[in-house]
Amino acid sequence: MPGPVGIVANPASGKDIRRLVARASVFDNQEKSAIVRRVLVGAMAAGARDFAYLPDTHNIAAEAAHEFKDKANFTEVQITRTASTMDTVYAAQAMFDIGCSIVLTLGGDGTNRAFAKGWQNVPLVPISTGTNNVFPGLVEGTVAGAAAGLIAAGKIELASVSNQVKATTIEIENEEDDLALVDAVLVEGGFVGARAIWSSEQLKTAVLTRAEASAVGLTAIGGLINPITQSDDTALVIQFGPDGELINAPIAPGLYEPVPVISTDVIEFGETVTVEGPGVLAFDGERERVLRKGQTAKLQVNRNGPHVVDVHATLTKAAHLGLFLTK
Amino acid sequence: MTAEATTEARQLPYILAITEGVRQSLQEYDTSFLAGEDVGLAGSVFRIYKGLYAEFGPERVIDSPISEAGLIGLGVGAGATGLRPMIDIMFSDFIGECMDEIANQLAKTRYMFGGKTTLPVTVLTMGGGGINLAAQHSQSLEAWLCHIPGLKVMMPATPHDVKGAIIAANRDENPVFVIMNKASLGITGEVPEEPYAVNIGEAIVRREGSNFTIVAIGRMMHEAMTAAEILEKDGIDVEVIDPLTLQPLDTETILTSVRKTHRALVVHEAVRFGGIGAEIAAQIQENAFDDLDAPVGRIGAPFSPVPFSPPLEQAYLPNAQKIADGVKDLIGLD
Amino acid sequence: MELTKDILLDLHRRMVRIRHFEDEAGKLSESGQMPGALHLYVGEEAVAAGVMVHLSDEDQITSTHRGHGHLVAKGGDFKQMYAELYGRSTGYNKGKGGSMHIANVDAGMLGANGIVAAGPPIAVGAGFSNKYRGTKNVAVPFFGDGATNEGSFHEAANMAAVWKLPVVFVCENNGYGEFTPQAEHQAIKDITDRAAGYGMPGIQADGMDAIAVWEAAGEAIERARNGEGPTLLECKTYRYYDHVGRSGIGLEYRSDEELDEYRKEDPIPKIEKHLIDNNVLTADEIQAVHDGILAEIAEAIKFAENSPLPDPSTVTEDVYYTG
Repeated sequence: MPGPVGIVANPASGKDIRRLVARASVFDNQEKSAIVRRVLVGAMAAGARDFAYLPDTHNIAAEAAHEFKDKANFTEVQITRTASTMDTVYAAQAMFDIGCSIVLTLGGDGTNRAFAKGWQNVPLVPISTGTNNVFPGLVEGTVAGAAAGLIAAGKIELASVSNQVKATTIEIENEEDDLALVDAVLVEGGFVGARAIWSSEQLKTAVLTRAEASAVGLTAIGGLINPITQSDDTALVIQFGPDGELINAPIAPGLYEPVPVISTDVIEFGETVTVEGPGVLAFDGERERVLRKGQTAKLQVNRNGPHVVDVHATLTKAAHLGLFLTK
Repeated sequence: MTAEATTEARQLPYILAITEGVRQSLQEYDTSFLAGEDVGLAGSVFRIYKGLYAEFGPERVIDSPISEAGLIGLGVGAGATGLRPMIDIMFSDFIGECMDEIANQLAKTRYMFGGKTTLPVTVLTMGGGGINLAAQHSQSLEAWLCHIPGLKVMMPATPHDVKGAIIAANRDENPVFVIMNKASLGITGEVPEEPYAVNIGEAIVRREGSNFTIVAIGRMMHEAMTAAEILEKDGIDVEVIDPLTLQPLDTETILTSVRKTHRALVVHEAVRFGGIGAEIAAQIQENAFDDLDAPVGRIGAPFSPVPFSPPLEQAYLPNAQKIADGVKDLIGLD
Repeated sequence: MELTKDILLDLHRRMVRIRHFEDEAGKLSESGQMPGALHLYVGEEAVAAGVMVHLSDEDQITSTHRGHGHLVAKGGDFKQMYAELYGRSTGYNKGKGGSMHIANVDAGMLGANGIVAAGPPIAVGAGFSNKYRGTKNVAVPFFGDGATNEGSFHEAANMAAVWKLPVVFVCENNGYGEFTPQAEHQAIKDITDRAAGYGMPGIQADGMDAIAVWEAAGEAIERARNGEGPTLLECKTYRYYDHVGRSGIGLEYRSDEELDEYRKEDPIPKIEKHLIDNNVLTADEIQAVHDGILAEIAEAIKFAENSPLPDPSTVTEDVYYTG
C-alpha cells in the first residue's frame, strides 16, 4: 500500500521584493488554499484517500483539508515551526519519515529547493505559485492532483512517468553544505537582505543545471547563449564581468537587463567549480549564504535531484489503460 | 457710474456667493486647494463649485473617493505640511464617517504638539433641512463640533456672510468649519465683488429692538426677522442677533442686547435637547441673571430624527410663527 | 543601493539608541517616576531603523501609540523626548502630549498617535502635499497588523493609490492587536495580500533584520520619490515587551517559547555579528557605541528630571493659534 500524498504550500512564496523591483505577480494565500482544494479534488477523483500536509503558519493546507475531512484521511505533519525556509526543509524530512508516496509542492524555485534540501530524491509534482518558476511548471491543480493521486493509489508506476532532475551540491568551506536545483550564483555583496536578485551588476559566477531560452531568471542568461536542457547530462558555467559581451536577458519577471558575460563553459557531472568570497551565494534566485573573504565553495552538478512527475504523461498513460472508465 | 457703486449694488444668490468665496480663496493662496466628493467635474451635487474645476484644473479642484475619513486626514496632513486645504464634506450628516479625524486629529493636533504646528484647514459642509431629504441628509449637528476644543464653527445665513466666512476660514491658521445651508442656496443678497472676510467670532445685530432679544442661528435668522415683523404689529420691538460664529461665541454682543431688552429666546434648527441654544441660555443666565425679567427661552426641533414627508418636516422645523408664539409665551401674551 | 559601512553603522546606531531609550523609559515607568502609559518598541527596532535611514527631515512619517522608536530613529533628541515623557515644559510637546502624542514636526515626525490607524490618512495628506508642492519627498505611515482592520487605513490606501501619491505604507506586523493574536482578528496572515486590492505593490521584508528592511524600504521609497506611487511594505516583527510597559498587565496570551524564538532573531546582535564578521567594528567598539548612548541617556534623564513642570496657567494655551 503506497504512502499518503504529501502537500506543502509555502505561505511566503510570491510576495518578495520582485513585486516592486520587477513586475512579478502577487500570489495571495487565498489562491494557494484554493489550489490545494483543487489538488485534493483531483487526487481523490484518481483514487487517493490518504493525505499528509504541513500545517503552515497561514493554514493554507489545513483549511483546505478541513473542507474534505469527511471524505479522506489527513495527517498533520509535526515539525518545529520557525516561520522560515527551514519549515519546508523540516517538512520534507518528516514527509520522508512517514513514507509519503508522492509530494505536491505549491511555491516557486525557492520552495522546491528548500524541500529538496530535506528530501533530495523526492517523487514530486511541483505547482507554480512563486516568482521565478523554472522548476515548477504552470499546471492546473486539479490535474496535478489527479496525476499524484494515480501514483499514490498505485495505479501508475512512478518510474514510468517521472524523470530524476539535476541538482548542484555546494560544499562551503567550514560550513554546512547546500543545494540548488536550477541556478547557483556568486554575487557581490556581504548580506542576504531582501534575498532576491534583480541587478545584473552584482553577478560574478553562475552554475546552471539548465539553461533555458524560454525561461525567466538567471537560467535565461545561459539559455539565450548556449541552451542546455534538463535531459542533458551537462551544466553551464558562466563568468560575468564588466568587460564582457552584453546579453539582454529576462532575469526576473518583467525585467530585461543587459548582462555582461565574459565566458560560458559546458561542464560534465562531477566536475568541480570553485568560487571564492567575499560575496553571497544565491540559489534558485535568492541570496542565501554569505561567503567571507577568502572562504571558498565547491560546486558540482549531478542527477540526484527530485523525481519530477510528468502530469501530461501520467494522465495520458492512465487513459490508455482505461483507468477512467467505469460501468 | 463708479466701480465702487457697482460693487455695492451687486446682488448674488447664496449659491454663487459660495462659488465666489472659494474661487477667491484659491486665487489668494497658491497653497489652497479644494477636495471632496464630486466637487470637480460635477461642481458638487449642489453645484456650489460650478466652474472652478475648469478654472483651476484637477490639481486644485480635486474629485476624491467617497472617503470622508480620508478627506479630513488629507486636510490634516496637508495642513501640517504647508498647504491651506479646503475640504468639502458634502452633507454635514456625513461627519459621523470622519469624527475621529475631526475630533482627535484635526482639532487636537496643535494642542497635543504643544502649539508647534498650525492646521489652516477649512471644512465646507452643507447642513439643515427643509427640502425633504429625510433623516440622514437634513441634520444640524453644529453642537457636536462646538463641543470640541480646537475647532472654529461658523453658520453663515446670508450670501454676504457665506462668502466672507469661506475667505475668513481659509485665511485663519486654525481648523474652521463653515456649515452652509442647503435651504438658503437661492436666497439673494448684496455681495461685494472684491474678496473680503467676515470677522470670525463676531455676532451681527440684524435688527435693533428695545424689548426682546432673539438669538437666531443660521437659517433661523431669516425666520426670526419675519417673526419680528409679526411681533411688531403687537407692539413688541424685537432685536435679532445672528451669532454667525458659534465657536468661539460672541457672548458679549448677546449680553449687551439682553441687558437692554431683559428678555431672550434662542432659536436653532437642531434638536433642542443638548443643542447650542442650551449653552447660550446658560451663559445669559450666568452673566445677566439680574437683568432678566423672564426665563431664557429656547426653540429647536423636537427630539426625533428629521422626518421625510413634507407635512411632517414642516411640523418638525421651527419657523417664524413658532418663534413669534414663543416670544409671546415668554412675555405672557396669548 | 550599496550597503556602505556608513549605512551599516547608521542602522546599528539607530537601533541601539531605540533599545536603550526604551529600556530606560520602561524602568522609569515601572518605578513610578514617569506618569502615564508607555508602549515600548523593543524588538521592532529593525523596522524603524531600516526605513528611517532613507529619510530626511523633509520626508514625513506618522507613527502609532508605540511611537518612541520612530521618533528616535527620525533623529529625536533624547532630552526633549524624556522631558516629554516626564510631562515637563521642556519636552517636545511642552508636556501637552506625552508618550502617545510625542512629535517633532520640524523633523517631519507628525506624531505618535493614540488612535489606531489614524496615521495613514494624515500621511496621505503629507504625501499629497509633497506632490502638490513639487518636491521629491515621501511620507511614510507606520502602523500595525491591527490597524489594517480600520476603515481609515482602507480609505488612506485607496486614496494614495488612485492619486499615485509618494506614500510608503509600512506595516509592522507583530502578530498581535494589543493582546489578540492575528489569527483571531483577521482571516489573512499577510497584510501584503491586501495591496493588490488597492492597486499597489505589496512586498514583505524580514522585520527582524535591519538590512532586509533597509533594502526593501529603499526600493519602495525610491519608487515613491520618482512619482511611481505608493507601496505596501509589510515587515514581520515582534515586540519583546508587553502591549503596555515592559511586563504589561499580567495576561498570558503568548508563550515563552514564541518569545524565545524571536529573541534568537534579535536584530541588534544580528547586525553586530555582521559588523564584526565584515570588520566594520570590533566587539570593543560596539560596546563603546552602547556606552556612549547610555551616557547620553543618563544625561537626558537628568535634564528631564531637573526640568520645570508646566505652569498650570498654560492649560488652555495652544488650543488655537492666536498670532
